[in-house]
Amino acid sequence: MIAYAIMVISVCFFLLPMLWIVYCSFRTQESIFTAKIFPPLEGFTLDNYRRILSVTDFPRYFLNSLRISSLVTLISLVVSVLGAYGLSRYDIKGKDAIIVGIFSTQMFPQVLMLIPLFLVVFSLNLMDTTTGVALTQLILVLPFCMWMLKGYFDTVPKDLDQSAEVDGANLFQRLVHIILPVASPGIAVVAFYSFVVSWSDYLIVSVVSQSQRTATVTLTISRLTASLLVRWGQVCAVATLTIVPTLILFAFVQRRLVEGLTAGALKE
Amino acid sequence: MNRKNAYLLIIPALAIMCAFTVYPLAEGIRLSFTNASMLRPTYRYIGLGNFKQMINDRVFWLALRHSVVLTVIVVLLQLVLGLILAWAMKQEVPGMAAFRSVIMASWVIPVAATVTIFKFMAQPDVGFINIILRSIGLDRLVRYWFGDPSTAFACIILLHLWRNVPFYGITFLAAMQTIPESLYESAEIDGASPLQSFWHITLPGISHMIMVMVTIHVLWTFNNFDFVYLATGGGPVDSTQVLPVYVYKQSWDRYAAGYGASIGTVMLLLLAVYFVIYLLIQKKGEYER
Repeated sequence: MIAYAIMVISVCFFLLPMLWIVYCSFRTQESIFTAKIFPPLEGFTLDNYRRILSVTDFPRYFLNSLRISSLVTLISLVVSVLGAYGLSRYDIKGKDAIIVGIFSTQMFPQVLMLIPLFLVVFSLNLMDTTTGVALTQLILVLPFCMWMLKGYFDTVPKDLDQSAEVDGANLFQRLVHIILPVASPGIAVVAFYSFVVSWSDYLIVSVVSQSQRTATVTLTISRLTASLLVRWGQVCAVATLTIVPTLILFAFVQRRLVEGLTAGALKE
Repeated sequence: MNRKNAYLLIIPALAIMCAFTVYPLAEGIRLSFTNASMLRPTYRYIGLGNFKQMINDRVFWLALRHSVVLTVIVVLLQLVLGLILAWAMKQEVPGMAAFRSVIMASWVIPVAATVTIFKFMAQPDVGFINIILRSIGLDRLVRYWFGDPSTAFACIILLHLWRNVPFYGITFLAAMQTIPESLYESAEIDGASPLQSFWHITLPGISHMIMVMVTIHVLWTFNNFDFVYLATGGGPVDSTQVLPVYVYKQSWDRYAAGYGASIGTVMLLLLAVYFVIYLLIQKKGEYER
């Protein structure tokens, strides 16, 4: 009984707000302003979507976001798989220090690093480029991905790749044929996490992006509610299109997500 | 295995982290001892000048207090509510599996979207919250919830809870599922109440996960910029001003890069003290085991 009560309350609190904006994205401005929850049928429309997809620059920002987040995911996958394998399988000098160091980056205030970061990107001539945004966003995801994957790789018995090495398999072959199949849930989670964090990032994009060339959906949506007369129907449509990609990916990895997220913390 | 290979493997990660994390951080700390400004090309070292200025900066102290209070309240509430949610999700009742699979949705959507959703819901005229309040006759409560100094801070707390409590619940649940069922069975035979077994079996069983979640969320919440900046910008009248937002405003709106950096350095110091204490506790825990 209590469990059911908690379930119902949670659904209302955590899911209703999302459903509400999706619902309102199909309503006209007039319908929203009647302040009724269930308006008459003529209050529903597809106009909000038609407008933001054809009149505004939203499709362009959406593609920017897709491009940046895909690049972050790709680099993050390669770098963190290699790094986590190195940390999991080899006795490197200062290994513990590196692991604590990676974890401790989580306490660095991003706002403190922002101006120097801006200058680094500037001096690399990467201002307002997809690469520039992606490279800087990597610092948001790499520590967590490496930590998570290392936890995952640690659960794969060392004998497996040691015997493969004796058989003459090189590093690449060991990674592809032995580690990756076993750790594929972890890999999926790393990809998901990288994509979503990059998609959601506001702080770094707001500094590195200077124009429409690299502006993302997150940047767009945060500027929408600033004006006085807000077209709420369109805002809701933009918000819906912003959250839908992350929700679709979430649906795909949902089952593995928990397993992957907790791999690092559960093994001890 | 060959040790040289190992270094090659971690060098890409270390290089990126050095160029885009360690170096900017060191530069940020260096800037905090200067009078750097975005308005002029040159600057000089002024020793502890910025930190002296901070002592008399009323807004800094306000932001510091808000940051600490926000972090403590948010993490505590998330912990308690997360435990309750995890307990509920562990009950095998019809519909629970579906519930478990969708509940983390609020955690995966962008914070900017979350803020937009709640800003819309908090609107005085068309907001869902106020529509409901009016319909049950509480018209006097109707307001723009983020625009009222007496409610804005609570709204920020609510945003954090909305995003993170399901994440806590799901991770705690995963930890609970590693506790052998036989422990509960024998406790039941010994006559332990459900509350007793929760206290003596479940909590110790997931203590490590609790430690990790609390530690990481203290760091994340204290450093969080997006929620406050996007929802209220620190206002109204500084009622939600927190350190990350204040640093950003000093650096980018008032062009006081040096002073902004010095406040950032204070944030780092506070978190470093917290982090070292965590590491010591963790070391001690391992030693005792």
